[in-house]
Amino acid sequence: MDKLIQINSLVKAFDDNVVLNGINLYIKQNEFITLLGPSGCGKTTLLRLIGGFESVDDGQILFEGHDIKDIPAHKRPINTVFQKYALFPHLNVFQNVAFGLKMQKMPKEEMRDAVSKALALVKLKGFEERNIKTLSGGQQQRVAIARAIVNKPKVLLLDEPLAALDLKLRQDMQYELKEMQRALGITFIFVTHDQEEALTMSDTVVVMNEGHILQIGTPVDIYNEPKNRFVASFIGESNILKGTMIDDYKVRFEGLEFTCVDHGFGQNIPVEVVIRPEDITLVPAQGGIEGVVTDVIFKGVHYEIIVMVQKQEYIIHSIYPQKVNDRVSITFEPEALHVMSL
Amino acid sequence: MKALSSLARPYRYWMVLTIVFPMILIVVVAFTELNLFRLDTFRFSLEGLNVLRSDIFLNALGNSLKFAFIATLLCFLIGYPVAYVLANSESPYRSLYVTLLILPVWSNMLLRIIAWEKMFYPSSILNLFGISLDLIGTDTAILIGMVSMYLPFMIFPIYAVLDKMDNTLIEAATDLGASNVKAFLTVTLPLSLGGIVSGVIMTLLPAMTAFALPARLSGGRTLLVGNIIEDYFMRTGNFNAGSMISLVLMALMVVLYLWVLRFDKEGETLI
Repeated sequence: MDKLIQINSLVKAFDDNVVLNGINLYIKQNEFITLLGPSGCGKTTLLRLIGGFESVDDGQILFEGHDIKDIPAHKRPINTVFQKYALFPHLNVFQNVAFGLKMQKMPKEEMRDAVSKALALVKLKGFEERNIKTLSGGQQQRVAIARAIVNKPKVLLLDEPLAALDLKLRQDMQYELKEMQRALGITFIFVTHDQEEALTMSDTVVVMNEGHILQIGTPVDIYNEPKNRFVASFIGESNILKGTMIDDYKVRFEGLEFTCVDHGFGQNIPVEVVIRPEDITLVPAQGGIEGVVTDVIFKGVHYEIIVMVQKQEYIIHSIYPQKVNDRVSITFEPEALHVMSL
Repeated sequence: MKALSSLARPYRYWMVLTIVFPMILIVVVAFTELNLFRLDTFRFSLEGLNVLRSDIFLNALGNSLKFAFIATLLCFLIGYPVAYVLANSESPYRSLYVTLLILPVWSNMLLRIIAWEKMFYPSSILNLFGISLDLIGTDTAILIGMVSMYLPFMIFPIYAVLDKMDNTLIEAATDLGASNVKAFLTVTLPLSLGGIVSGVIMTLLPAMTAFALPARLSGGRTLLVGNIIEDYFMRTGNFNAGSMISLVLMALMVVLYLWVLRFDKEGETLI
């Protein structure tokens, strides 16, 4: 697949506040890529730079191999779905969706066809004459998407488009967006702070914090092989333990030695070990890592169980409940351990 | 709310006394024959309508409409860019600029009119700067006076609307392929229509009913509707004619008001 967008050492600062600090990233044709990070990590700024709403301080954004620094927003083959939709309140649904086509001076007949196709795609057929203010949040969201994709952009930028929707609607929209992206063959660049959303929808996830990219990978990679403590704790829940890599495939923590699948760190190197809560199995106390159940919370699909092992707290997800104050041992497979260098 | 409504009572009485009652009086006087302070000859009459056909009234109405429309247009052409720049300014002095614009409104209007008047005579304080104007009696004088009086009333409603406008709408427009000019014409301008309409009303109405301003700046040569109303009441004592013309002016204002309501159903821009 081709590199559609290539970003080289991109820097952006607002006054003295460096928001993006040397971003390197490429985005492939037809990719669903998600910029994930806490608020203030620079993900929205990166999106706005690609869209042309902010100017680049240093570095390059190449679009199909050409620097787009001097191309204004209205001439880029990129459209945006804004966080609060930014629908034009003085125009009805049809006029909103047709706005971009009108700017291209598309003939009336063709425009009507294109708009009704776009509205059908977002399941808003028959809403043409409706006033924007009479639509629900979910419907406004769909109009915003239709307004963007009707222009057949090469890239669609989505700035936390689902943040304002309630949970059920949000999950539905996640599937629909993914479906739409496959059907249209448009590159989607999606910004979110919701890790579940990122894992569900993306081909590639870019984890960002404080103006840096921490990790780029598939959802499975990011979840199973987080590069550092920040990624591990931001993506899903995890138990992060201090330990020592004794040798290849041998790691020591909690005063005990375990077999793992990681290697290549060297000998006696301090590391951090990640164990996901669902990878732990609790058994009646039998030595090993042994502790006391302090809390059991029912979460629907599973129980969240807190076990204190001396001063270290472990989170365990299990479909079986435990009794508070029972003594238990923590067990896991070697594959469950993921070792990160400090 | 109920408990508080009694607190509004004094003002309601005041409104009845100073607005409703005089209006009834004007209607009554407009359609009766009346000799001052004599009730025995008091009777219904349509003779007051004759004044509406008189040259002096038609001439004054023409003048009023002409000056009001030109002054409003000038205020819009000057005021919109000012409001736009102000609303989009990121200067830390923005509120200072706003205050400077509103400051003249707080000083007495008659005083400001007289200040202009003095400067429009050939010998004035402007001579100190080597300038001598001879504008008294010209249309220019009246228009300069009107624009300077009413400009803030045009700027503020537009500024208020533009200031509240969501900037991402402009970004959305450019994102969809609109150049800056196109984005302004297709998004900013239509969305500021409410502010424009109330600015127009706030300028048009006082300009149309002005009487001190044209009286002073025209040296009494140009008569507006306000001037002949004053004449009928204060000089010739023809209360019937004066009242009839006042009624016509009020009717015009009601029409304008209804027109505004069509644009702005909540009435928020009128405040």
